[in-house]
Amino acid sequence: MSAERPRRRSTAPAVMAEPTASTVPETRPAEPSGPAPASKPREKRPFLLDFFPLETPDQTRLHRFYERLREGYLSTTRCRRDGTLHWPPRTACPSCRSEELDWVDLPDHGHVYAFSAVLAGAPLGMEDDVPFAVGLVDLDGAPLRLFGRIEGRPWTELRIGEPVRTEAYDIGDGRMFYRFRTIG
Amino acid sequence: MSGRSVAIVGGATIKFGVRAATWPELVQEAGVALTRAVPELRADDVDSLFVGAAEPERFAFQSHVAPLAAEQLGLKPHRILQRNELACASGQSAIRSAFAAIASGLSEVAVVVGVEKMILPSMAEANTAMGCAMDRPWDGPAGATAPPFFAMVAQRHMLEFGTTAEQLAAVSEKNHRFANTNPSAQFYEKTFSRDKLLRLPLIAPPLRLGDCSSMTDGAAAVVLTSEDHVREYTDTPAWVRGSGQYSDFHNLANAGSLTEWNGLTLASREALGRAGITVGDLDLAEVHDCFSISEIVEYEALGLCPRGEGGKFAADGRGDLGGDVVINPRGGLLGCGHPLGATGVAQAVEVYEQFAAAVPPARQVPDPEWALVHNLSGSANVHSVMVYQRGGAA
Repeated sequence: MSAERPRRRSTAPAVMAEPTASTVPETRPAEPSGPAPASKPREKRPFLLDFFPLETPDQTRLHRFYERLREGYLSTTRCRRDGTLHWPPRTACPSCRSEELDWVDLPDHGHVYAFSAVLAGAPLGMEDDVPFAVGLVDLDGAPLRLFGRIEGRPWTELRIGEPVRTEAYDIGDGRMFYRFRTIG
Repeated sequence: MSGRSVAIVGGATIKFGVRAATWPELVQEAGVALTRAVPELRADDVDSLFVGAAEPERFAFQSHVAPLAAEQLGLKPHRILQRNELACASGQSAIRSAFAAIASGLSEVAVVVGVEKMILPSMAEANTAMGCAMDRPWDGPAGATAPPFFAMVAQRHMLEFGTTAEQLAAVSEKNHRFANTNPSAQFYEKTFSRDKLLRLPLIAPPLRLGDCSSMTDGAAAVVLTSEDHVREYTDTPAWVRGSGQYSDFHNLANAGSLTEWNGLTLASREALGRAGITVGDLDLAEVHDCFSISEIVEYEALGLCPRGEGGKFAADGRGDLGGDVVINPRGGLLGCGHPLGATGVAQAVEVYEQFAAAVPPARQVPDPEWALVHNLSGSANVHSVMVYQRGGAA
Protein backbone atom coordinates (compact mmCIF):
# COMPACT_ATOMS: atom_id res chain seq x y z
CA MET A 1 0.00 0.00 0.00
CA SER A 2 1.36 3.46 -0.79
CA ALA A 3 1.58 6.11 1.88
CA GLU A 4 -0.79 8.32 -0.08
CA ARG A 5 -4.35 7.58 0.91
CA PRO A 6 -7.43 8.74 -0.97
CA ARG A 7 -9.47 11.23 1.04
CA ARG A 8 -12.64 9.30 0.52
CA ARG A 9 -13.70 6.02 -0.91
CA SER A 10 -13.74 5.76 -4.65
CA THR A 11 -17.16 6.14 -6.20
CA ALA A 12 -16.20 3.71 -8.94
CA PRO A 13 -18.54 0.77 -9.21
CA ALA A 14 -17.37 -2.32 -7.39
CA VAL A 15 -16.96 -4.27 -10.58
CA MET A 16 -14.01 -4.76 -12.85
CA ALA A 17 -13.85 -2.73 -16.02
CA GLU A 18 -14.76 -4.63 -19.15
CA PRO A 19 -11.77 -6.45 -20.55
CA THR A 20 -9.97 -4.69 -23.34
CA ALA A 21 -7.93 -6.11 -26.14
CA SER A 22 -4.75 -4.27 -25.15
CA THR A 23 -1.48 -5.94 -24.42
CA VAL A 24 1.45 -4.83 -22.32
CA PRO A 25 2.98 -1.94 -24.27
CA GLU A 26 6.34 -2.33 -25.95
CA THR A 27 6.08 -6.08 -25.97
CA ARG A 28 5.12 -8.28 -28.78
CA PRO A 29 1.57 -9.50 -28.42
CA ALA A 30 1.17 -13.00 -27.17
CA GLU A 31 0.62 -15.48 -29.94
CA PRO A 32 -2.27 -17.76 -29.16
CA SER A 33 -0.71 -21.16 -29.11
CA GLY A 34 -3.98 -22.62 -27.87
CA PRO A 35 -4.26 -24.53 -24.65
CA ALA A 36 -2.14 -27.61 -24.25
CA PRO A 37 -3.90 -30.96 -24.42
CA ALA A 38 -5.91 -31.75 -21.32
CA SER A 39 -4.03 -33.55 -18.63
CA LYS A 40 -5.21 -36.98 -17.64
CA PRO A 41 -8.60 -36.87 -15.87
CA ARG A 42 -8.15 -35.57 -12.36
CA GLU A 43 -9.66 -37.05 -9.28
CA LYS A 44 -12.13 -34.74 -7.57
CA ARG A 45 -10.55 -33.46 -4.37
CA PRO A 46 -12.09 -31.65 -1.40
CA PHE A 47 -11.71 -27.91 -2.02
CA LEU A 48 -9.61 -27.42 1.13
CA LEU A 49 -7.11 -30.06 0.01
CA ASP A 50 -6.75 -28.69 -3.51
CA PHE A 51 -4.52 -25.77 -4.44
CA PHE A 52 -6.24 -25.12 -7.75
CA PRO A 53 -8.75 -22.31 -7.31
CA LEU A 54 -12.41 -22.16 -8.25
CA GLU A 55 -12.47 -20.25 -11.50
CA THR A 56 -16.05 -19.56 -12.50
CA PRO A 57 -17.93 -16.23 -12.36
CA ASP A 58 -20.03 -17.40 -9.40
CA GLN A 59 -16.81 -18.00 -7.40
CA THR A 60 -14.27 -15.32 -8.31
CA ARG A 61 -14.22 -11.81 -9.69
CA LEU A 62 -11.07 -12.82 -11.58
CA HIS A 63 -12.85 -15.41 -13.75
CA ARG A 64 -11.74 -13.43 -16.84
CA PHE A 65 -8.18 -14.64 -16.18
CA TYR A 66 -9.18 -18.26 -16.51
CA GLU A 67 -11.46 -17.62 -19.49
CA ARG A 68 -8.57 -15.93 -21.28
CA LEU A 69 -6.33 -18.88 -20.38
CA ARG A 70 -8.80 -21.16 -22.14
CA GLU A 71 -8.27 -19.00 -25.21
CA GLY A 72 -4.54 -19.58 -24.90
CA TYR A 73 -3.52 -16.22 -23.38
CA LEU A 74 -1.90 -15.44 -20.04
CA SER A 75 -3.33 -12.12 -18.87
CA THR A 76 -3.37 -9.84 -15.86
CA THR A 77 -4.81 -6.55 -14.69
CA ARG A 78 -3.40 -3.07 -15.16
CA CYS A 79 -4.62 0.00 -13.31
CA ARG A 80 -6.31 2.51 -15.60
CA ARG A 81 -5.52 5.33 -13.17
CA ASP A 82 -1.84 4.88 -12.32
CA GLY A 83 -0.79 2.34 -14.95
CA THR A 84 0.53 -0.25 -12.48
CA LEU A 85 0.80 -3.70 -13.99
CA HIS A 86 -0.22 -6.26 -11.38
CA TRP A 87 0.74 -9.80 -10.55
CA PRO A 88 -1.26 -11.62 -9.56
CA PRO A 89 -4.35 -10.06 -11.14
CA ARG A 90 -6.22 -7.86 -8.68
CA THR A 91 -9.73 -6.61 -8.11
CA ALA A 92 -8.39 -3.25 -6.95
CA CYS A 93 -5.06 -1.57 -7.58
CA PRO A 94 -2.83 -2.07 -4.49
CA SER A 95 -1.00 1.16 -5.33
CA CYS A 96 -3.96 3.54 -5.57
CA ARG A 97 -7.00 1.43 -4.60
CA SER A 98 -8.73 2.22 -7.86
CA GLU A 99 -11.13 -0.47 -9.03
CA GLU A 100 -10.91 0.70 -12.63
CA LEU A 101 -8.66 -1.97 -14.06
CA ASP A 102 -8.07 -3.26 -17.57
CA TRP A 103 -7.20 -6.81 -18.54
CA VAL A 104 -4.04 -7.04 -20.62
CA ASP A 105 -2.40 -10.03 -22.27
CA LEU A 106 1.13 -10.85 -21.21
CA PRO A 107 4.10 -11.81 -23.38
CA ASP A 108 4.21 -15.53 -24.05
CA HIS A 109 7.99 -15.85 -23.81
CA GLY A 110 10.48 -15.40 -21.01
CA HIS A 111 13.77 -16.51 -19.50
CA VAL A 112 14.40 -18.50 -16.33
CA TYR A 113 15.71 -16.32 -13.47
CA ALA A 114 15.99 -19.16 -10.95
CA PHE A 115 14.72 -22.71 -10.69
CA SER A 116 14.68 -25.77 -8.52
CA ALA A 117 12.85 -29.05 -8.49
CA VAL A 118 10.62 -30.86 -6.05
CA LEU A 119 12.23 -34.26 -5.55
CA ALA A 120 10.36 -35.06 -2.32
CA GLY A 121 7.71 -33.53 -0.13
CA ALA A 122 5.06 -32.80 -2.74
CA PRO A 123 1.57 -31.81 -1.61
CA LEU A 124 -1.48 -34.00 -2.09
CA GLY A 125 -2.37 -34.56 -5.71
CA MET A 126 1.18 -33.77 -6.85
CA GLU A 127 2.96 -36.88 -5.56
CA ASP A 128 2.81 -38.50 -8.98
CA ASP A 129 4.37 -35.42 -10.59
CA VAL A 130 7.64 -35.84 -8.64
CA PRO A 131 10.22 -34.94 -9.77
CA PHE A 132 9.00 -31.66 -11.17
CA ALA A 133 10.76 -28.38 -11.90
CA VAL A 134 9.57 -24.98 -10.74
CA GLY A 135 11.09 -21.60 -11.37
CA LEU A 136 10.85 -17.85 -11.56
CA VAL A 137 10.65 -16.58 -15.12
CA ASP A 138 11.30 -13.02 -16.31
CA LEU A 139 8.73 -12.31 -19.00
CA ASP A 140 10.29 -10.80 -22.11
CA GLY A 141 9.45 -7.11 -22.27
CA ALA A 142 7.18 -6.97 -19.24
CA PRO A 143 8.27 -5.99 -15.72
CA LEU A 144 7.04 -9.26 -14.23
CA ARG A 145 8.82 -12.33 -12.88
CA LEU A 146 6.32 -15.15 -12.57
CA PHE A 147 6.59 -18.40 -10.61
CA GLY A 148 5.41 -21.66 -12.09
CA ARG A 149 6.09 -25.21 -13.15
CA ILE A 150 8.64 -25.68 -15.90
CA GLU A 151 7.80 -28.53 -18.26
CA GLY A 152 9.81 -29.84 -21.17
CA ARG A 153 13.35 -30.86 -20.42
CA PRO A 154 14.10 -32.44 -17.02
CA TRP A 155 15.40 -30.20 -14.23
CA THR A 156 18.89 -31.67 -14.55
CA GLU A 157 19.15 -30.10 -18.02
CA LEU A 158 17.74 -26.65 -17.14
CA ARG A 159 19.97 -23.58 -16.92
CA ILE A 160 19.50 -20.06 -15.60
CA GLY A 161 18.64 -17.91 -18.59
CA GLU A 162 16.83 -20.80 -20.28
CA PRO A 163 14.24 -19.49 -22.78
CA VAL A 164 10.72 -20.72 -22.07
CA ARG A 165 7.22 -20.00 -23.29
CA THR A 166 4.04 -19.75 -21.29
CA GLU A 167 1.46 -22.45 -21.72
CA ALA A 168 -2.16 -22.72 -20.67
CA TYR A 169 -3.43 -26.18 -19.81
CA ASP A 170 -6.55 -27.97 -18.61
CA ILE A 171 -5.67 -29.46 -15.24
CA GLY A 172 -7.84 -32.48 -15.94
CA ASP A 173 -11.21 -31.51 -14.51
CA GLY A 174 -12.14 -28.61 -16.78
CA ARG A 175 -10.21 -25.95 -14.88
CA MET A 176 -7.34 -24.07 -16.49
CA PHE A 177 -3.92 -23.12 -15.19
CA TYR A 178 -0.62 -21.91 -16.65
CA ARG A 179 2.96 -23.19 -16.67
CA PHE A 180 6.17 -22.72 -18.59
CA ARG A 181 7.67 -24.99 -21.22
CA THR A 182 11.22 -25.11 -22.49
CA ILE A 183 11.75 -24.14 -26.12
CA GLY A 184 13.53 -26.56 -28.39
CA MET B 1 11.76 2.17 24.50
CA SER B 2 8.61 3.98 25.47
CA GLY B 3 6.26 2.38 27.94
CA ARG B 4 7.24 0.17 30.85
CA SER B 5 10.22 -2.12 30.64
CA VAL B 6 9.30 -5.73 29.98
CA ALA B 7 11.31 -8.89 30.53
CA ILE B 8 11.13 -12.60 30.00
CA VAL B 9 11.44 -14.08 33.48
CA GLY B 10 11.47 -17.78 32.67
CA GLY B 11 10.60 -20.39 30.12
CA ALA B 12 10.77 -23.99 29.08
CA THR B 13 10.89 -26.11 25.94
CA ILE B 14 9.52 -29.63 25.65
CA LYS B 15 11.07 -32.40 23.57
CA PHE B 16 10.89 -31.58 19.86
CA GLY B 17 10.55 -34.39 17.36
CA VAL B 18 8.16 -37.02 16.09
CA ARG B 19 5.95 -37.08 19.15
CA ALA B 20 3.23 -39.52 20.11
CA ALA B 21 1.12 -36.61 21.31
CA THR B 22 -1.71 -34.43 20.06
CA TRP B 23 -1.84 -30.62 19.85
CA PRO B 24 -3.65 -30.22 23.22
CA GLU B 25 -1.25 -32.71 24.82
CA LEU B 26 1.79 -30.77 23.60
CA VAL B 27 0.32 -27.63 25.19
CA GLN B 28 -0.15 -29.38 28.53
CA GLU B 29 3.38 -30.70 28.41
CA ALA B 30 4.66 -27.16 27.88
CA GLY B 31 2.58 -26.02 30.84
CA VAL B 32 4.09 -28.67 33.09
CA ALA B 33 7.59 -27.74 31.93
CA LEU B 34 6.91 -24.04 32.51
CA THR B 35 5.65 -24.73 36.04
CA ARG B 36 8.86 -26.62 36.82
CA ALA B 37 11.02 -23.87 35.31
CA VAL B 38 9.15 -21.00 36.98
CA PRO B 39 7.80 -22.38 40.27
CA GLU B 40 6.91 -18.85 41.40
CA LEU B 41 4.29 -18.59 38.67
CA ARG B 42 0.71 -18.63 40.04
CA ALA B 43 -2.17 -19.13 37.64
CA ASP B 44 -4.15 -16.36 39.34
CA ASP B 45 -1.42 -13.83 38.54
CA VAL B 46 -1.48 -14.58 34.81
CA ASP B 47 -3.85 -12.07 33.26
CA SER B 48 -3.07 -12.78 29.60
CA LEU B 49 -2.25 -15.71 27.34
CA PHE B 50 -0.82 -15.48 23.84
CA VAL B 51 -0.73 -18.66 21.77
CA GLY B 52 1.70 -18.84 18.85
CA ALA B 53 0.27 -21.40 16.44
CA ALA B 54 0.68 -21.36 12.68
CA GLU B 55 -1.67 -23.96 11.31
CA PRO B 56 -3.67 -25.85 13.94
CA GLU B 57 -6.61 -25.80 11.50
CA ARG B 58 -4.54 -27.83 9.06
CA PHE B 59 -2.40 -29.97 11.32
CA ALA B 60 -4.88 -30.58 14.13
CA PHE B 61 -8.25 -29.68 12.55
CA GLN B 62 -8.76 -27.23 15.37
CA SER B 63 -9.35 -23.50 15.36
CA HIS B 64 -10.20 -21.22 18.30
CA VAL B 65 -7.12 -22.63 19.94
CA ALA B 66 -6.48 -19.85 22.48
CA PRO B 67 -9.26 -20.87 24.89
CA LEU B 68 -8.34 -24.52 24.34
CA ALA B 69 -4.77 -23.77 25.36
CA ALA B 70 -5.95 -21.71 28.34
CA GLU B 71 -8.09 -24.58 29.60
CA GLN B 72 -5.23 -27.04 29.11
CA LEU B 73 -2.92 -24.75 31.08
CA GLY B 74 -5.44 -24.02 33.83
CA LEU B 75 -5.44 -20.31 33.02
CA LYS B 76 -8.40 -17.93 32.99
CA PRO B 77 -7.04 -14.85 31.23
CA HIS B 78 -9.01 -11.68 31.94
CA ARG B 79 -6.96 -9.12 30.04
CA ILE B 80 -5.92 -10.59 26.68
CA LEU B 81 -6.44 -14.05 25.26
CA GLN B 82 -5.42 -14.48 21.65
CA ARG B 83 -3.77 -16.74 19.13
CA ASN B 84 -1.02 -15.27 16.96
CA GLU B 85 -0.53 -16.61 13.45
CA LEU B 86 2.43 -15.50 11.37
CA ALA B 87 3.38 -18.82 9.81
CA CYS B 88 6.96 -19.71 10.83
CA ALA B 89 7.16 -16.59 13.05
CA SER B 90 3.95 -17.25 15.00
CA GLY B 91 5.86 -17.81 18.24
CA GLN B 92 7.76 -14.55 18.07
CA SER B 93 4.57 -12.78 17.02
CA ALA B 94 2.97 -13.99 20.26
CA ILE B 95 5.94 -12.74 22.30
CA ARG B 96 5.82 -9.35 20.58
CA SER B 97 2.12 -9.04 21.37
CA ALA B 98 2.73 -9.94 25.02
CA PHE B 99 5.58 -7.41 25.16
CA ALA B 100 3.34 -4.70 23.71
CA ALA B 101 0.48 -5.52 26.06
CA ILE B 102 2.70 -5.32 29.13
CA ALA B 103 4.60 -2.23 27.97
CA SER B 104 1.30 -0.42 27.47
CA GLY B 105 0.06 -1.32 30.93
CA LEU B 106 -2.78 -3.50 29.70
CA SER B 107 -1.21 -6.67 31.06
CA GLU B 108 0.97 -7.35 34.12
CA VAL B 109 1.87 -11.00 33.72
CA ALA B 110 1.49 -12.83 30.43
CA VAL B 111 2.22 -16.40 29.40
CA VAL B 112 3.20 -17.14 25.83
CA VAL B 113 2.94 -20.68 24.57
CA GLY B 114 4.08 -21.65 21.08
CA VAL B 115 3.00 -24.99 19.71
CA GLU B 116 2.77 -26.94 16.49
CA LYS B 117 1.70 -30.48 15.73
CA MET B 118 3.10 -31.24 12.27
CA ILE B 119 3.62 -34.98 12.00
CA LEU B 120 0.51 -36.44 10.38
CA PRO B 121 -0.23 -39.99 9.22
CA SER B 122 0.01 -38.65 5.64
CA MET B 123 3.15 -36.68 4.82
CA ALA B 124 1.47 -35.44 1.64
CA GLU B 125 -1.28 -33.92 3.77
CA ALA B 126 1.33 -32.26 5.98
CA ASN B 127 3.08 -30.93 2.88
CA THR B 128 -0.25 -29.56 1.68
CA ALA B 129 -0.56 -27.69 4.95
CA MET B 130 2.91 -26.22 4.42
CA GLY B 131 1.90 -25.08 0.96
CA CYS B 132 -0.90 -23.01 2.49
CA ALA B 133 1.69 -20.57 3.83
CA MET B 134 2.43 -19.58 0.24
CA ASP B 135 0.04 -17.72 -2.09
CA ARG B 136 -2.56 -20.44 -2.46
CA PRO B 137 -4.34 -19.67 -5.77
CA TRP B 138 -1.29 -18.42 -7.69
CA ASP B 139 1.84 -20.17 -6.34
CA GLY B 140 0.17 -23.21 -4.74
CA PRO B 141 -0.98 -24.91 -7.95
CA ALA B 142 2.62 -25.01 -9.20
CA GLY B 143 3.65 -26.95 -6.10
CA ALA B 144 5.20 -24.07 -4.18
CA THR B 145 6.38 -24.99 -0.71
CA ALA B 146 9.35 -23.66 1.22
CA PRO B 147 12.10 -26.02 -0.07
CA PRO B 148 11.96 -25.05 -3.77
CA PHE B 149 11.75 -21.35 -2.89
CA PHE B 150 14.80 -21.41 -0.61
CA ALA B 151 16.53 -23.65 -3.15
CA MET B 152 16.20 -20.81 -5.65
CA VAL B 153 17.69 -18.45 -3.06
CA ALA B 154 20.65 -20.83 -2.77
CA GLN B 155 20.96 -21.20 -6.53
CA ARG B 156 21.06 -17.41 -7.03
CA HIS B 157 23.50 -16.97 -4.12
CA MET B 158 25.80 -19.55 -5.68
CA LEU B 159 25.53 -17.85 -9.08
CA GLU B 160 25.98 -14.29 -7.83
CA PHE B 161 28.62 -14.86 -5.15
CA GLY B 162 30.14 -18.27 -5.70
CA THR B 163 28.69 -19.73 -2.52
CA THR B 164 29.30 -23.48 -2.31
CA ALA B 165 27.56 -26.61 -1.08
CA GLU B 166 30.44 -27.00 1.40
CA GLN B 167 29.63 -23.60 2.89
CA LEU B 168 25.96 -24.59 3.23
CA ALA B 169 27.11 -27.76 4.99
CA ALA B 170 29.24 -25.68 7.38
CA VAL B 171 26.08 -23.98 8.67
CA SER B 172 24.24 -27.25 9.05
CA GLU B 173 27.19 -28.99 10.74
CA LYS B 174 27.52 -26.18 13.30
CA ASN B 175 23.83 -26.15 14.17
CA HIS B 176 23.56 -29.93 14.38
CA ARG B 177 26.65 -29.95 16.61
CA PHE B 178 25.01 -27.43 18.96
CA ALA B 179 21.83 -29.55 18.88
CA ASN B 180 23.87 -32.45 20.24
CA THR B 181 24.08 -30.43 23.49
CA ASN B 182 20.32 -29.86 23.62
CA PRO B 183 18.17 -32.78 24.79
CA SER B 184 14.99 -31.10 23.54
CA ALA B 185 16.36 -30.94 19.98
CA GLN B 186 14.91 -33.30 17.41
CA PHE B 187 18.42 -34.34 16.33
CA TYR B 188 19.96 -34.41 19.82
CA GLU B 189 21.51 -37.82 19.29
CA LYS B 190 22.27 -37.60 15.56
CA THR B 191 25.66 -36.44 14.38
CA PHE B 192 26.19 -34.86 10.97
CA SER B 193 29.69 -34.28 9.66
CA ARG B 194 30.12 -32.00 6.65
CA ASP B 195 30.98 -35.02 4.51
CA LYS B 196 27.86 -36.84 5.61
CA LEU B 197 25.71 -33.76 4.98
CA LEU B 198 27.09 -33.51 1.43
CA ARG B 199 26.07 -37.11 0.74
CA LEU B 200 22.45 -36.82 1.91
CA PRO B 201 19.81 -36.92 -0.82
CA LEU B 202 18.76 -33.83 -2.71
CA ILE B 203 15.34 -32.53 -1.66
CA ALA B 204 15.11 -29.39 -3.78
CA PRO B 205 18.39 -28.89 -5.63
CA PRO B 206 20.85 -27.53 -4.66
CA LEU B 207 19.46 -28.15 -1.13
CA ARG B 208 19.99 -31.57 0.40
CA LEU B 209 18.13 -33.13 3.30
CA GLY B 210 20.56 -31.71 5.84
CA ASP B 211 20.09 -28.19 4.45
CA CYS B 212 16.38 -28.28 5.37
CA SER B 213 14.73 -27.99 8.77
CA SER B 214 12.26 -30.75 9.38
CA MET B 215 8.62 -31.27 10.16
CA THR B 216 8.45 -31.41 13.93
CA ASP B 217 6.04 -31.62 16.84
CA GLY B 218 6.91 -29.35 19.71
CA ALA B 219 5.97 -26.63 22.16
CA ALA B 220 7.65 -24.02 24.32
CA ALA B 221 6.46 -21.41 26.80
CA VAL B 222 7.75 -18.23 28.42
CA VAL B 223 6.52 -15.78 31.06
CA LEU B 224 6.78 -12.04 30.52
CA THR B 225 6.13 -9.35 33.06
CA SER B 226 6.74 -5.67 33.74
CA GLU B 227 9.59 -4.05 35.61
CA ASP B 228 7.25 -3.89 38.62
CA HIS B 229 7.14 -7.68 38.99
CA VAL B 230 10.33 -9.02 37.45
CA ARG B 231 12.11 -9.55 40.77
CA GLU B 232 9.26 -11.75 42.03
CA TYR B 233 10.33 -14.32 39.45
CA THR B 234 14.02 -14.12 38.66
CA ASP B 235 17.38 -12.47 39.25
CA THR B 236 18.37 -12.97 35.61
CA PRO B 237 15.65 -11.38 33.47
CA ALA B 238 16.00 -11.07 29.71
CA TRP B 239 14.88 -7.50 29.13
CA VAL B 240 13.17 -6.72 25.84
CA ARG B 241 15.18 -3.76 24.57
CA GLY B 242 14.16 -3.63 20.95
CA SER B 243 11.72 -4.99 18.42
CA GLY B 244 11.32 -4.58 14.70
CA GLN B 245 9.47 -6.09 11.79
CA TYR B 246 9.23 -5.63 8.04
CA SER B 247 7.19 -7.12 5.23
CA ASP B 248 7.21 -6.17 1.59
CA PHE B 249 5.61 -8.90 -0.54
CA HIS B 250 3.64 -12.12 -0.54
CA ASN B 251 3.36 -13.60 -4.01
CA LEU B 252 6.64 -15.13 -5.14
CA ALA B 253 6.52 -12.99 -8.28
CA ASN B 254 7.07 -9.94 -6.10
CA ALA B 255 10.12 -11.20 -4.18
CA GLY B 256 12.60 -9.03 -6.08
CA SER B 257 16.19 -10.04 -5.36
CA LEU B 258 16.26 -13.49 -3.80
CA THR B 259 19.64 -12.90 -2.19
CA GLU B 260 19.20 -9.47 -0.63
CA TRP B 261 16.83 -9.65 2.35
CA ASN B 262 16.32 -5.95 2.82
CA GLY B 263 13.38 -6.62 5.15
CA LEU B 264 15.73 -8.22 7.67
CA THR B 265 18.19 -5.34 7.38
CA LEU B 266 15.41 -2.86 8.14
CA ALA B 267 13.79 -4.90 10.93
CA SER B 268 17.11 -5.53 12.68
CA ARG B 269 18.18 -1.88 12.38
CA GLU B 270 14.89 -0.89 13.97
CA ALA B 271 15.29 -3.37 16.83
CA LEU B 272 18.99 -2.67 17.43
CA GLY B 273 18.40 1.06 17.18
CA ARG B 274 15.67 0.95 19.79
CA ALA B 275 18.06 -0.98 22.03
CA GLY B 276 20.76 1.61 21.39
CA ILE B 277 23.31 -0.93 20.19
CA THR B 278 24.80 -2.11 16.91
CA VAL B 279 25.10 -5.61 15.51
CA GLY B 280 28.72 -5.69 16.72
CA ASP B 281 27.50 -5.53 20.33
CA LEU B 282 25.64 -8.85 20.07
CA ASP B 283 26.99 -11.83 21.98
CA LEU B 284 24.60 -14.32 20.47
CA ALA B 285 21.81 -14.50 17.95
CA GLU B 286 19.08 -17.03 17.41
CA VAL B 287 18.31 -16.64 13.71
CA HIS B 288 15.87 -18.41 11.43
CA ASP B 289 17.87 -21.20 9.76
CA CYS B 290 14.86 -22.89 8.21
CA PHE B 291 17.41 -23.76 5.51
CA SER B 292 21.20 -23.56 5.62
CA ILE B 293 21.15 -20.85 2.94
CA SER B 294 18.83 -18.76 5.13
CA GLU B 295 21.47 -18.39 7.83
CA ILE B 296 24.05 -17.35 5.23
CA VAL B 297 21.81 -14.63 3.80
CA GLU B 298 20.93 -13.57 7.36
CA TYR B 299 24.61 -13.01 8.27
CA GLU B 300 24.72 -10.56 5.38
CA ALA B 301 21.38 -8.87 5.98
CA LEU B 302 22.16 -8.38 9.67
CA GLY B 303 25.43 -6.71 8.71
CA LEU B 304 27.69 -9.33 10.29
CA CYS B 305 29.58 -9.48 7.00
CA PRO B 306 29.40 -7.79 3.59
CA ARG B 307 26.84 -8.94 1.03
CA GLY B 308 27.98 -12.10 -0.71
CA GLU B 309 30.40 -13.16 2.02
CA GLY B 310 27.96 -15.13 4.18
CA GLY B 311 29.24 -18.44 2.90
CA LYS B 312 32.80 -17.56 3.86
CA PHE B 313 31.57 -16.27 7.23
CA ALA B 314 30.09 -19.73 7.85
CA ALA B 315 33.08 -21.70 6.60
CA ASP B 316 35.46 -19.58 8.69
CA GLY B 317 33.48 -20.37 11.85
CA ARG B 318 32.74 -16.73 12.61
CA GLY B 319 29.24 -17.68 13.82
CA ASP B 320 30.57 -20.48 16.02
CA LEU B 321 31.66 -20.48 19.65
CA GLY B 322 34.88 -18.46 19.68
CA GLY B 323 33.83 -16.53 16.58
CA ASP B 324 32.51 -12.98 16.16
CA VAL B 325 29.08 -13.81 17.57
CA VAL B 326 27.54 -17.16 18.42
CA ILE B 327 24.74 -17.95 16.00
CA ASN B 328 22.08 -20.49 16.97
CA PRO B 329 23.69 -22.08 20.05
CA ARG B 330 20.36 -23.85 20.74
CA GLY B 331 20.94 -25.89 17.59
CA GLY B 332 18.85 -23.81 15.24
CA LEU B 333 15.87 -24.97 13.30
CA LEU B 334 18.17 -27.36 11.44
CA GLY B 335 19.17 -29.20 14.59
CA CYS B 336 16.12 -28.70 16.81
CA GLY B 337 13.44 -29.15 14.17
CA HIS B 338 10.92 -26.45 13.32
CA PRO B 339 7.50 -26.76 14.96
CA LEU B 340 6.32 -23.49 13.43
CA GLY B 341 4.54 -21.86 16.36
CA ALA B 342 7.01 -23.16 18.94
CA THR B 343 10.27 -22.10 17.26
CA GLY B 344 10.24 -18.39 18.14
CA VAL B 345 9.35 -19.17 21.74
CA ALA B 346 12.05 -21.84 22.06
CA GLN B 347 14.59 -19.32 20.73
CA ALA B 348 13.54 -16.89 23.48
CA VAL B 349 13.91 -19.67 26.07
CA GLU B 350 17.46 -20.20 24.83
CA VAL B 351 18.25 -16.50 25.26
CA TYR B 352 16.83 -16.54 28.79
CA GLU B 353 18.82 -19.66 29.70
CA GLN B 354 22.02 -18.32 28.10
CA PHE B 355 21.70 -15.16 30.22
CA ALA B 356 21.05 -17.32 33.30
CA ALA B 357 24.06 -19.53 32.48
CA ALA B 358 21.69 -22.48 32.57
CA VAL B 359 22.67 -24.24 29.36
CA PRO B 360 25.27 -27.01 29.06
CA PRO B 361 28.87 -25.68 28.96
CA ALA B 362 29.33 -27.00 25.42
CA ARG B 363 27.07 -24.27 24.11
CA GLN B 364 27.28 -21.61 26.81
CA VAL B 365 28.22 -18.24 25.36
CA PRO B 366 30.73 -16.64 27.75
CA ASP B 367 29.12 -13.91 29.84
CA PRO B 368 26.52 -12.80 27.29
CA GLU B 369 24.81 -9.41 27.65
CA TRP B 370 23.05 -8.83 24.31
CA ALA B 371 21.08 -11.28 22.20
CA LEU B 372 19.00 -11.01 19.05
CA VAL B 373 16.21 -13.32 17.93
CA HIS B 374 15.12 -13.37 14.31
CA ASN B 375 12.30 -15.20 12.61
CA LEU B 376 11.36 -15.03 9.00
CA SER B 377 8.07 -16.39 7.78
CA GLY B 378 6.75 -17.76 4.51
CA SER B 379 9.08 -17.06 1.62
CA ALA B 380 11.26 -14.71 3.72
CA ASN B 381 8.62 -12.07 2.99
CA VAL B 382 8.29 -11.10 6.65
CA HIS B 383 11.18 -10.55 9.06
CA SER B 384 10.61 -10.18 12.80
CA VAL B 385 13.38 -9.28 15.24
CA MET B 386 13.68 -8.92 19.02
CA VAL B 387 16.69 -7.70 20.99
CA TYR B 388 17.24 -8.75 24.61
CA GLN B 389 19.62 -7.58 27.34
CA ARG B 390 20.65 -9.60 30.36
CA GLY B 391 19.83 -8.62 33.93
CA GLY B 392 20.69 -5.18 35.21
CA ALA B 393 18.30 -2.46 36.30
CA ALA B 394 15.15 -1.75 34.33
